Amino acid sequence: MINSIKQRLREFKSISQDGVLAVGLLVSSIFLLVFVVYPIFRILAAGLNIDALPLLWHLLSLGETQRVIMNTLVVSLGVASLGTALGFLLAYVQVKLDVPFKRFFHLIAIIPIVSPPFAVAMSIITLFGRSGLITKRLLGLRYDIYGADGLIFALTISFIPLAYLSLLGMIRGLDPALDEAATNLGAGGWHAFRTIMLPLLIPGFASSFLLLFVAAMADLGNSLLLGGNLTVLSSRIYLAIIGEYNLESGAVLSVMLLIPSLIIFAIQHYWVSRRSYVTVTGKPTGQTRMIRNPWVKWILFTVNFLFAALIVLLYGYILVGAFTKVWGINFAFTLDHFRFVLFGYGSEAFSDTILLASLATPIAGLIGILIAFLVVRRKFIGRSLIDLISILGLAVPGTIVGIGLIMAYHQPTLGGLIPKLTGTAFIIIMAFTIRSVSAVVRGGVASLQQIDSSIEEASASLGASGAMTFRKITIPLIRPAFLSGLISSFARSMTSLSPIIFLVTPHWRIMTAQILNEAETGRFGNAAAYSVVLIVIVLAAIGLLNIIVGSSTGAERLVES
Amino acid sequence: MIMRRKHFFIVVLLIAGLILAACGTSDTASDQPAEVPEVEAEAATEEEPASIPEVSGPLTVMCGMQEDWCQAAVQAFEAETGIETSMVRLSSGEALARMQAEKDAPSFDVWYGGPSLGPSAAAEEGLIESYVPENSSFIPDALKDPNGVWTGIYVGALGFCSNKELLDELGAEAPNSWQDLLDPVFEGNIAIADQRTSGTAVTAGGALVALEGGEDGALGYLRKLDANIFQYTKSGSAPGRMAAAGEVAVTVIFSHDCVKFQLETGVDLAVTFPEEGTGYEIGQVSLIAGANNPEAAKAFIEWSLTAAAQEIAATVGSYQIPTNPDAEVPAEAVKLEEVVLAEGFNPGMVAELRSGDFPERFGAEVRGGEEAPEG
Repeated sequence: MINSIKQRLREFKSISQDGVLAVGLLVSSIFLLVFVVYPIFRILAAGLNIDALPLLWHLLSLGETQRVIMNTLVVSLGVASLGTALGFLLAYVQVKLDVPFKRFFHLIAIIPIVSPPFAVAMSIITLFGRSGLITKRLLGLRYDIYGADGLIFALTISFIPLAYLSLLGMIRGLDPALDEAATNLGAGGWHAFRTIMLPLLIPGFASSFLLLFVAAMADLGNSLLLGGNLTVLSSRIYLAIIGEYNLESGAVLSVMLLIPSLIIFAIQHYWVSRRSYVTVTGKPTGQTRMIRNPWVKWILFTVNFLFAALIVLLYGYILVGAFTKVWGINFAFTLDHFRFVLFGYGSEAFSDTILLASLATPIAGLIGILIAFLVVRRKFIGRSLIDLISILGLAVPGTIVGIGLIMAYHQPTLGGLIPKLTGTAFIIIMAFTIRSVSAVVRGGVASLQQIDSSIEEASASLGASGAMTFRKITIPLIRPAFLSGLISSFARSMTSLSPIIFLVTPHWRIMTAQILNEAETGRFGNAAAYSVVLIVIVLAAIGLLNIIVGSSTGAERLVES
Repeated sequence: MIMRRKHFFIVVLLIAGLILAACGTSDTASDQPAEVPEVEAEAATEEEPASIPEVSGPLTVMCGMQEDWCQAAVQAFEAETGIETSMVRLSSGEALARMQAEKDAPSFDVWYGGPSLGPSAAAEEGLIESYVPENSSFIPDALKDPNGVWTGIYVGALGFCSNKELLDELGAEAPNSWQDLLDPVFEGNIAIADQRTSGTAVTAGGALVALEGGEDGALGYLRKLDANIFQYTKSGSAPGRMAAAGEVAVTVIFSHDCVKFQLETGVDLAVTFPEEGTGYEIGQVSLIAGANNPEAAKAFIEWSLTAAAQEIAATVGSYQIPTNPDAEVPAEAVKLEEVVLAEGFNPGMVAELRSGDFPERFGAEVRGGEEAPEG
């Protein structure tokens, strides 16, 4: 007891002695307090006080609410398991297989992250729905795609890049020497895979599963367009706030959404922290050994190929929708939708969205990697709290983030230190950043956990300061995770809908809100054209980021494929 | 070593400073006061000094109609008056949530379009300022709030919108009554919006309450109808797309939306009305309490009631019926006289239904499969 208090005191003292820790802690604490804690506190204050408890009890006792919770769990578990499995397969093919089209497969796997998720939803409805091109016209089926099946389908496609990118970094980070050693000791391919690779990848699976689970639970766009009569928690909250004008029960329901994600997060976190996954040791690394078994090789290749074909079909059909008169009904060629989007109203939304997302990306990237570094590498009071808070932005449904921001900053806060932010660009940047930081943190944490801290210790014992070690050792080692964090946070900002749906103003228009408008009012063609242009912008930005962030350290090659 | 640590400090501070500076710039750029001088300068150069309107911009409009209509209207107003105007399109629910959240510092001046039940609900919370426009003398009494909470700018009647090709496949006629909708031939082939998200749906709910003699009767009907429903959509007009795409045969939507979908898609859609009687909506314009620019907002409201302003709708394919008797009624529009209105129905009761527990009861008793609460 006394010992642990002493240790706490030592940790406290170390904050003042460690410059990196002090500054980093200050920056990330202020960020988390202003961007995450306070807005969520405002929502919770409205939803989880003594007066709201009877309402919570009442809602929980309703069969409707219980069904909604079940639906949410089924959909999120489905997406998290399916997405992680598929993401792993795609990443495995990239690293361990010598097959054609790998570069193409890589692009295919990250395409969904560059599009607003409900673009896929529209494509799915028009391809596989009741009047779908494939189901109705090709197979003569009137298949009802709305509901759990369609939703899991759309969400898995939408979030697969999260799983793929994080697992890709992990598999590439594995030391091939271990694999070699196993083979030299007589282990077969499957045995080595099962006893070496899988255990080493557990943090990657855990973080991928966690990311997908909370992302699937928080998604609003797909459940609005594809959920049909199936209500999940996020759409139920939307219903409560938008439809029933009931902010209170919306806040209470969002508390119900938070709890399962926090529980799962805690389990994963505890489980992951039990094992050691260090494989980057600073010793020279060898060449990754490719899979030679033709059966394994070509079966995996075929699955990957089919997946690629599906993605091409889904996105290709969006292109069709954008260039034809009425998507799925009248296939006459037209440029009307693009005229509407590029020269009509849409042009303003494009420049605004690009500007704000570009401002949010470096903030999210820097803060996220800083938090990841502190959480994995430094011991200090409140470490796990900071870790927990950094994921909240993703666990709390976007709609709630948006309303929380409005409630927190619609008037000057902190005695005028923070001015009124509603109606300004800053509040939209905040919403973008809150959502992105968690992704960067998770990627950074998973990647850092693999790197043995003895490299950093070696640097320190050779006389480098904490800052220098961070700059010269840590940053290059986690650069792949950092880059994919930057990419995903820009794409996330460009394509996120729910957090900003309440924040758009006449001066700052956001493309995704315009797309949902078009889709909801039934003009899928305009929505498709918007989506196409949005995808092009994000792809261009990714290319640019690759050029800018890329440099000459060895770690870079990990991101290139 | 100390030097290096300092060096790192400076880098961190620089980065933080850069971020703040970048945000700061975009922040001030969006500040309204910063734009005022610009507007005045424009007005001074473009207008004769004598004709400078007393009212100047900027004006911020919360618009509840379709995007293209909103734009066309705002552009026309700006061109006509020189008042710098910007707008955001929000659904009724979004608009109300936004107004509640921004109660102390509203960012909008005027609420334009969308059903009158929106401002009726908002007025109860003090979010709307009563204003009786001078031009409202043209508008029939039934189409405006006597206290000036809102004034009607258009009227739309609820009807059935059916895909003729699919009707043929089913071997059914376009429905002509609420009773027809219960025909098992339509099982899984009807779409209607959810009572909890859509003003359109509550308008149907209101008509049913009027016809069935109360909420219990209306919910009883909706429970029976539930057997035939393919999907309850969030947005009121979304079922129209589903009918056009052939996903469902019959939808319950505003007839003008059906006409619009038919013209846009070229799909053969039939507009019919229930012979028992139907509901209608009045599109509204209203003044937001605590508006930053109430004078410009009032000028906008007066303008929106003119015949010229109301005729803009037809130019963008929206065929609601204008409230100004002098405005030309488009040939495509459904004439209100041709439709049987549900006896005892008025848009006010839609507002009451919506703010009461009818949507929640629908959620629990029709969607949730709960038994009606006792008592």
